[in-house]
Amino acid sequence: MEQLLAAALSKGACNFGQIAVRKGFVLTHVDDVDLAQPETFRSPEDAIALAGFDDAGKYRPLKTAPNLRHGWRMELVDLGEVVRALDYFYPARLSILREWKEDRLETTPLRATLDRQSGMYRVAASISDEQIHEVVADVCRSDGGCLRRILWRRDASGTIPSTKLPPEKFEVPNEPLPLLCQEGCTILINECRKKVKAE
Amino acid sequence: MRDSALLIVGHGSTVNPDSSAPTLAHAAEIRRRKIFAQVDCAFWKEEPSLRDSLSIFRDAREVYVVPNFISEGYFTQTVIPRELELNGSLTKRENGQVWKYCEPVGSHPMMTELLLQRASEIGRDVDLAPTSLLIVAHGTDLNENSAVAAKREVERIRALGKYAEVLNVYMEEAPRVSDWRTLTKSQNVIVVPFFISDGLHSYEDIPELLGIEKRGDVFGEPYKIDNRLLFYAPSIGTDPRFADIIVAQVENFRT
Ligand code: SF4
Repeated sequence: MEQLLAAALSKGACNFGQIAVRKGFVLTHVDDVDLAQPETFRSPEDAIALAGFDDAGKYRPLKTAPNLRHGWRMELVDLGEVVRALDYFYPARLSILREWKEDRLETTPLRATLDRQSGMYRVAASISDEQIHEVVADVCRSDGGCLRRILWRRDASGTIPSTKLPPEKFEVPNEPLPLLCQEGCTILINECRKKVKAE
Repeated sequence: MRDSALLIVGHGSTVNPDSSAPTLAHAAEIRRRKIFAQVDCAFWKEEPSLRDSLSIFRDAREVYVVPNFISEGYFTQTVIPRELELNGSLTKRENGQVWKYCEPVGSHPMMTELLLQRASEIGRDVDLAPTSLLIVAHGTDLNENSAVAAKREVERIRALGKYAEVLNVYMEEAPRVSDWRTLTKSQNVIVVPFFISDGLHSYEDIPELLGIEKRGDVFGEPYKIDNRLLFYAPSIGTDPRFADIIVAQVENFRT
């Protein structure tokens, strides 16, 4: 993971979602690179609280939602600490990216994820393709929903889950550290369930 | 265990950060001790997901999975094995990995000792002879056996004969938390929630049922209610010594 990050940083700074990773093991919000008086943090574990709430102090159930809190700066001592902090900000995204770069990332079609559910989520599997089209557009959209690029398909046919979203949403961008989604998350599954229940 | 990896599984929540906080803290503590080559968490309702951990641990040779749950139940028996593709307590994967599925933290015999320690710390130097100890569990939790686990702990503590009384109480069924005044006869009452994390239940619901008016930092000073002294502890799962029990569950698997 540290190699992955070192490679991404070889040309200096780079962004990971809404985080600017800079030389000298410094992290800030991408909007705060030149911020005059940020609140400074020095432990990777401080990222748990920073990632936990948005600017309004509201809990962030989805860490890859585009509402990362502003006003802080993290000064760490080595690449290992940077990896750990980034793992709190965007859990597992570096691991997933590494697998994708090594060409061994497994993605799971949404229908397979839905069919696997049990208990109160079992009903979500009866969602229609048309409803998936709506729900995915709503939950996963990059403006206000989620910053990840979607690599999973609707079903085994390989169909894109929602044409309401721009085609780029389903492609890996040409950036050093893209945020990728290999499988529908718990929030999406819950929204699928709600959609089915509402009909 | 130095070549092995540890995965601690928590429930997590999409509405508040309290649910995952102790699990993350225990993981950070165990990581700091350098007992395992790798320590990570995964959650049912938060990131990283259980599915993510298949990638997170791709390079590990051997992964111990410890559910940070109070008891066996729907999550430990259905959700976790399904999401992690485990078959039984030992799973050999095609890539040569071995995943070892340990028992939930709450099942470890050390839990009794921890409950006792927690109770005596919150009760300070209070004389135990005229003291009742109440262990709070959910009740009406169809899928979980947390009430069974709580009963087992109460029986073990009662058998030690240290307290005047040791009782199970529940939030949603009898014997109820709110009936503590009639359920107990002692001058002092110590209340310990047998939960994995703090949250609305421990910050608001239980204090209200106990008749504590204070909100916010409810765990501090003892309360004087109806001429009795009431001591109220945070959820047992927030105790830093939970980290020791997580490690002990791994050792338990190995023997
Ligand atoms: S399914 Fe993936 S892209 Fe959609 S909201 Fe969840 S994490 Fe984001």
